[in-house]
Amino acid sequence: MERTQKTDVIVTEGVTRVYEADGVPVNALNGIDLTIQSGEFTALVGPSGSGKTTFLNIISGLDTPTEGKVWLAGKVLSEMSGNELSDFRRDNIGFIFQAYNLIPVLTVEENVEYIMLLAGVPKAERHERVIAMLETVGLKGVANRTPTQLSGGQQQRVAIARAMVSEPQIILADEPTANLDSKTGADLLEMMRHLNEETGMTFIFSTHDPMVMESATRLITLRDGHVDTDETK
Amino acid sequence: MWLILIKLAWRNIFRNKRRTIIAATAIGIGLAALIFVDALMIGMTENMVRTATASFLGDAQIHREGFRDAQEVSLTIQSLDEVTEGLAKENIVEHFTQRTLAPGMITSPANVSAIILVGVHPPTEQFLSQIDDVITEGVYFEGGSSRDVVIGAKLAEILEIGLGDRIVVTVAQAETGDLSQEMFRISGIYHFVGEEMNSGMAFVRIEKAQEMLAIGNEVHEIAVKFTSVAYAQDPTLPFWNAYSQHGNEALSWTELMSQLTAILEMTKYSKYIVGVILFFVVIFGIINTLFMSLYERMFEFGVLRAVGTRPFGMARVILFEAGALAIVSIGLGMVLGFLITAILNHTGIDYTGIEMVGVTIQEFIYPVMTVQQFIIYPVWLFIFTIIAGLYPARYAAKMSPAAAMRRSF
Repeated sequence: MERTQKTDVIVTEGVTRVYEADGVPVNALNGIDLTIQSGEFTALVGPSGSGKTTFLNIISGLDTPTEGKVWLAGKVLSEMSGNELSDFRRDNIGFIFQAYNLIPVLTVEENVEYIMLLAGVPKAERHERVIAMLETVGLKGVANRTPTQLSGGQQQRVAIARAMVSEPQIILADEPTANLDSKTGADLLEMMRHLNEETGMTFIFSTHDPMVMESATRLITLRDGHVDTDETK
Repeated sequence: MWLILIKLAWRNIFRNKRRTIIAATAIGIGLAALIFVDALMIGMTENMVRTATASFLGDAQIHREGFRDAQEVSLTIQSLDEVTEGLAKENIVEHFTQRTLAPGMITSPANVSAIILVGVHPPTEQFLSQIDDVITEGVYFEGGSSRDVVIGAKLAEILEIGLGDRIVVTVAQAETGDLSQEMFRISGIYHFVGEEMNSGMAFVRIEKAQEMLAIGNEVHEIAVKFTSVAYAQDPTLPFWNAYSQHGNEALSWTELMSQLTAILEMTKYSKYIVGVILFFVVIFGIINTLFMSLYERMFEFGVLRAVGTRPFGMARVILFEAGALAIVSIGLGMVLGFLITAILNHTGIDYTGIEMVGVTIQEFIYPVMTVQQFIIYPVWLFIFTIIAGLYPARYAAKMSPAAAMRRSF
């Protein structure tokens, strides 16, 4: 599971995104050139409207740039069909959302195994991996509960388990600690940092949380759709 | 994979129980209405056909060709003995009776009225018509008198006569056209719900009518009752050709009462029209429900897309939800449809006295339930629901995950 050799997992070249807001063009991103290597624990920071969300959307293939190119794990996202992109996300990217966004009608186990179901992993293997992953994130014995029966911190742990269970190369996390108290946030951050070190997965956070910024190995500040600063600790 | 999507769909439709129950009830009422309308139409059709055939017409009739149009008394059935011998041997014929029919005048001391004088053979006529069942005064040819006449209550009122009173009937004789008059005594008065039978006919014994018309032992009409009503609606039945020989014609009630046949055919189409309207209502109800549910869970759909669900997978989630909604609605609709139809099948619906194309409904209408109603309509509803789900499913498949999750990434 551990990945030691550093490779460029995300490369963006002149990525620009222009939105139309009430007929007025708004430049959300202005020619961003970035390279993110495997195993990085990167925090993407900046004020609201700086383009963090748009950037994460584009590097995950959820949105397409108006100009520029994105390479993800060596593949050009804009050259993929809808199904290829879906499969690519399934196999290479794990998502952690601010509001956890688990599927409330599915149990914890079903939520975590969903991606493996999409990938056609056999049932026995799925079950084994789900239980192991839930243990890793400190959620032993909750597999049959529904998300509503869990606390916010537990739900976010399930979300982390869901994101990581298929062992993707990249984890994209959108303000994962924003809805949590500082103690729970710190615990989860510590857990993600540990998983990053242990598995070599690349973590990219969009965040306002100083705790996340502090723990990040690389801090990219966006401002008005540009990379303002990019520092590696 | 299919299992988790089915699970997802089934649980999702119960997330907003109130909305699902309201939508399923609305759709279920549509299905129940369809089942009930179909049952009612079958009941009404059976009722009208029974009224038309059992009250006087019979399932089929044999006449001399041209008689029905001309009402010419000389046009009697050809080769009568051969025909009656044949009918007696037919397995599909339960009963038959012979009649004479002649236009005439009936006169009382107070009034005069135009009638059709019907000569009947009482022992066999009772199996083909219901006159004996609706006698309100007197008796139906019980004595041996050849001068007994049975008339309708309305005609008695017009003539201002009652039971035992004397009347004179005048008819034109066959061949010569000479007038023939006979005096009769009112032995029975009947009351049909329909006006025509009540005021326009007078029944006498067939021997007396043949004598008045000077047609010997000839008759104008043979009414036939089959062992099954279905025979009358089978145009390929050899019976029709076998008895349409020697200048005679054998016709089923569907031809004798072509207006009724046409109206029943129209009724069938009205049922389809009601069905189409109901299905459209259902379709828009389903589309609305699915879209409401989709908009409410937009972010969730965005998440499902983000984690790798293919566009077709998203469409399947919606289609499975449509299917799940259809199953709940069908369950409700079938129970509701069964209850409504069963209750009204027990109590009946009072349409008596209402006349349609010359047929007056005389009995309560009892909706008739069939197995098909509980198979065909639910299957149709399921198919329509899935078709209705295609639009929101396509929307979900084409939805941009970024737009769906605009709150986050």
